[in-house]
Amino acid sequence: MLTRAAPWLSSSKQNASRLAHTLRPFHEDPRWPGWQVVVGIEVHAQIKSRAKLFSHARTFQQGDSPNTQVTAFDAAFPGTLPRLNPICVELALRTAAALNSGIQTRSTFDRKHYFYSDLPAGYQITQHYEPIAKGGSLDLAQSGVCVRIEQIQIEQDTGKSTVDPRRSASAIDLNRAGTGLMEIVSKPDMRSPEEAGEYVRSLQAVLRSIGSSDGNMEQGSLRCDVNVSVNRPGQAPGTRCEIKNLNSIRFMMVAITSEAGRHIALLDSGNRVNQETRAFDENTGETYRLRTKEDAPDYRYMPDPNLPPLLLDPTFVARIRQNVPELPAQTRMRLLAQGLSQRDVEVLMAVDSGKEVGFDGRLGHGAVAYFDGLSRSRDPRVVVNWMTNELLGQLSARRLSFHDNSISLEQMGDLIDMVQQGFVTGSTGKALLRHMLDHQSPETPRELAEELKLLALHEPDSLEQHCADAILALPAEADAVRQGNLNVLNKLTGRIMRATRGTANAAAVRKALERLLRPS
Amino acid sequence: MGMPVAVKDNICTADAPTTCASAMLRDFTSPFDATVVKLLNNAGAAIVGKTNCDEFGMGSLNINSIHGPVVNPYQPHGQSTLWEDRERRAAGGSSGGSAAAVAAGMCDAALATDTGGSTRLPASYCGVVGLKPSYGLISRWGVVSFADSLDCVGVIGKDVVSAERVYDALAQFDPQDPTAIPESTRTRAHELCSHHMFPWVSAVQNSLVGLKIGIPQEYFPTSLEPSIVAPLRRVLRALKGRGATLVPVSLPNTSYALSAYYIIASAEASSNLARYDGVQYGLHVPPPPDALPSTPAETYAYSRSAGFGAEVKKRILLGTYALTADAFDNYFLKAQRLRQLIRDDFHRVFAVPNPLASASAPPTSAPDGVHVLLHPSAIRAAPRLDQAAALAGSLDNYVQDVLTVPASLAGLPAMSVPAGVVEAGAEGAGWPVGVSVVGQWGCEAMVMRVGKVIEEVQRENA
Repeated sequence: MLTRAAPWLSSSKQNASRLAHTLRPFHEDPRWPGWQVVVGIEVHAQIKSRAKLFSHARTFQQGDSPNTQVTAFDAAFPGTLPRLNPICVELALRTAAALNSGIQTRSTFDRKHYFYSDLPAGYQITQHYEPIAKGGSLDLAQSGVCVRIEQIQIEQDTGKSTVDPRRSASAIDLNRAGTGLMEIVSKPDMRSPEEAGEYVRSLQAVLRSIGSSDGNMEQGSLRCDVNVSVNRPGQAPGTRCEIKNLNSIRFMMVAITSEAGRHIALLDSGNRVNQETRAFDENTGETYRLRTKEDAPDYRYMPDPNLPPLLLDPTFVARIRQNVPELPAQTRMRLLAQGLSQRDVEVLMAVDSGKEVGFDGRLGHGAVAYFDGLSRSRDPRVVVNWMTNELLGQLSARRLSFHDNSISLEQMGDLIDMVQQGFVTGSTGKALLRHMLDHQSPETPRELAEELKLLALHEPDSLEQHCADAILALPAEADAVRQGNLNVLNKLTGRIMRATRGTANAAAVRKALERLLRPS
Repeated sequence: MGMPVAVKDNICTADAPTTCASAMLRDFTSPFDATVVKLLNNAGAAIVGKTNCDEFGMGSLNINSIHGPVVNPYQPHGQSTLWEDRERRAAGGSSGGSAAAVAAGMCDAALATDTGGSTRLPASYCGVVGLKPSYGLISRWGVVSFADSLDCVGVIGKDVVSAERVYDALAQFDPQDPTAIPESTRTRAHELCSHHMFPWVSAVQNSLVGLKIGIPQEYFPTSLEPSIVAPLRRVLRALKGRGATLVPVSLPNTSYALSAYYIIASAEASSNLARYDGVQYGLHVPPPPDALPSTPAETYAYSRSAGFGAEVKKRILLGTYALTADAFDNYFLKAQRLRQLIRDDFHRVFAVPNPLASASAPPTSAPDGVHVLLHPSAIRAAPRLDQAAALAGSLDNYVQDVLTVPASLAGLPAMSVPAGVVEAGAEGAGWPVGVSVVGQWGCEAMVMRVGKVIEEVQRENA
C-alpha cells in the first residue's frame, strides 16, 4: 500500500531536527559576530553511466552536437515507456555505501510535474516518497566536521534550454535529458562557506574514487542547491532560503557569504527573512529572488505507474557494500602507512582528483594507481620520489597532465630498477626519462640506454684507463693533486665525465683518481 | 496467420499516422511500431488499417473524435439493409472503430485498448467478441498511454477463436514494457489455470459439470434495462443445463469502483498527457502576436487548448486536481486503497489463487470459490447516436462503467461475448447484448473456454 513519507508532519521528528543544529558547539566567526550561519546542501551528481537512466541513449559528452543522443523516450514520444538502467542503480548504491547511507531494499519512483521546455514529458521521474538510501555521513578531514546525509535519491536530469532574447525563442537540446542523477541531500550541518566548500570537494573526491560520477562542476555534471539560514547561538534556526543551481565551489562560497550577510542585515534592521528560492548572480556576487514560498509550485507528485517498486535483494546489497572501491580517506591512510610523507600523499591525491572516471563504474587509473603499480615490488619512497620530483615535474614542464603520461608502468619500473641497481647513474636515468617523454616509443629504458651507449661503466679496468688518459692529458693538474691540492681533482673528474658522456659514476671516478695519484 | 486485422489509432505504427483521434496528433506518425504491431506482422497477419476511437481512449460512445462518431454497423445475420435506411446507433467506445470494423466484416479481428471497458463495451454494442486480457500479459510499448496502471491492449474478434488466435500471438514478455509480467509468473498462472480447468474440461463432451460460475449481485444495478436480463437468463439457463453450477456471489466494494477508477485514471491521464505541448511533435499553435507569454506553460496553453477535445480537458482538470498537494491524500491515496479492496473482493471469490500474490502473502483464494464470474457487459444495448451526446454527459453513462471498471482496477481478464439480441418491443429491439466472463489473473484460457461455450449455446438457441 502506498504511504506518503512526510517526516515534516511528525512533531517529534521535527523537534529532533530543530535541535540538531545545536549539537555542534558554537564557534564565533569574526565575520558574523553573535550569529551562527547554518548551511545544508543538495548535490545533484550525474551518474557516470554509458547509457541514460531509462533509455538506451548514450549519455552525452562534451562536443556532441545538440539533439544527437536522444531516443523517442527521451523526447517523450507517445507510446514510449521507461526501462530502468541497472548500472545507474548499482552506482547509486555504491555511493550510498561509500557515504554509510542506509540502503532501502524497497524504493519507488515518482513523477514530479511542471511545464518547462527542457522537460519534454511534463514530469521528471524522481524518488520523492521512498528514496533508495536514507541517512549516512561524510567526514571532512580539514575541519574535522561530520556532515550527516539526509537521503540519496535517483532521478532524471533535464534537457538544456537556452533563451535567445533577440528572437524571443528557446533553443532546446535533449542530449542531457534523461541522464541519471543522484540527489544527495545533507543535513544542515555546515557552519561556514569554507565548510560547505570542503563538503562539496570531499564529496567530489568520494564520487570520483568510487567511479559513480566525475563530479565535474565546470561541465555541469555536479550542481549544488544550498540552504542558508542564520540564528543567534543557542536559539532556534532562522528561516532558510534556498539558492539554486550553483555551478562552482567558489561561487557557492561567495553566495553563502552574501546570503548570510543579507539575512543578518535584514534581522539587524528589525525585518524578517522570508522563505524564498533564490539564484546567484555571478556578476554582482549576490543572490536574487526567484520565488517566494507563496508562489512555490505544486509539483503534483504521483507514483510512476510504469515503474514497479525497486526491490533489492539483501545479498546483492551486501555484495555492493563489500566491493566499494577504496575511499580517499582510506587511500591517504594507506599511503602514509607505506612511509610516504604528508606532502607526497597530498601531491599524489591532488593529481588523482583530476583523473578520468570510467563509464559504468570502471575506475580510472590515476597517479595513486600508478604509484601502487610501481611500488608493489619497489621501495615506496624511491618510487614516490621518481614520481613527484621527476615524472610529474617533467610533465608539468611540458604542460602535460598526468593523464597524458606516455610512459608505461613497465618502462617506469625498469628505469627505476636500472638506477637502483647501478646500471645507469641517477643523472642518466633522469636524462632517459626526458628522452622517453619527448620520443614516445615502446622500447624499454634498458634497450634505449644500450642504444644511446649510456650504460654505466662497470669494469674498474675501463675506469682506470679513462683515469690514466686524463692524467696524461692534464699533467700539471695531476701533479697538483699529487702535491695535495684535492680541489684540482674536480677538473680531472669533469674531463672523465665528459669523455664518458656521463656514464661514469663521479664518486667512483674521484676514488680511482685518488688511488692512482695518492696511493696511501 | 494470414488474418486481416485492424489496429486502433492509439497504437503506434511507423507506416501510418497514429492520431489518437485527437487534433493534437492529427498529423503525427510514430517513428516506430508498437510491439503488438510487430508481433502481428511476425505472425503473418495482414494489417488492414487504423480504426477510429474516442480521443486518447477517453469515452464510451466513440463520439469524442476528430474523425467523427463511429456508426454501429451491426446487422442480423443474412440481413442487408442499406446504410441510409438503417437506424444510426453508437458503436460504443472507446474502441468503437475496432468493434465496428469487425462487425462490418472488414476484418476478422482488431486490436483495441481497454482502460475501463473500452474493448468490452463496443464489442457488446456491435455484437462481436471483446477480450481485455490480464494486465501485464501484452506489451504496452507503442500503445499511447491514457492511464498506465489500467491500460491493456484488447482484442476484438468476430468470434472467440479469432480473438484467441490474435491473443496467442501477442501474449509475450517484452523487455521494453516495464510492467510486463516475467515468464516465470506466466508459467505459474498457466499451471494454476490448467489445474482448475481440468475437472470440467476433461468431462464428457459438452458437459460443464464441475464448472462454478459466480453471479455477482452488485452487477445488476437498478439502471440495468430489463431487456438485457432476458438474453442473459437464456445463457445462464443453457450453461446450467450443461451441468455448470451457478453461485450467487458478492463483491461488496464494487460501489466504490467507479469513483476510484475516475480518480486514478484521470490522475494518470493528466500526467501522461502533459507531454503534448506542441514542441517536439504534434499540433503547435503559436501565441497570437499581441500575447506575451512569460512562461513555457503559458505558451503551451495555446496548443493544448486547441489540441484537446472537451472530454480530454475535463479529465485532465479532474486529474490535475486529484494530484494537488491539498487533494492527494483525500483523493488519490484513498482511491489506491479502494483499488486494493476491490482486488481483494475478487480474490475472495475465485477458486484459483492469485498468481501475482507474493510467496509471503497468505493465500486469499476460496477453496470452494468460483472459476469465473458472469454478468451483463452493458446496462443497455447500443444507444441511438442522436441521443448519444446527451447521454455522454448524464450520470447513466458513468453507471455503465460499473460493469467494466472493476476488472480493470483488479487487472483481471474479462471478455464480452454476444448473448443474443434485445427482444422485439423493447427499446433497442434487435440490437446485440453481450455478457462478460471474468476470470482470475492469467486465466485467459478459462475465460475463453467459457466464452466458446456461450457461443455454442447461442448457435443452439438460434
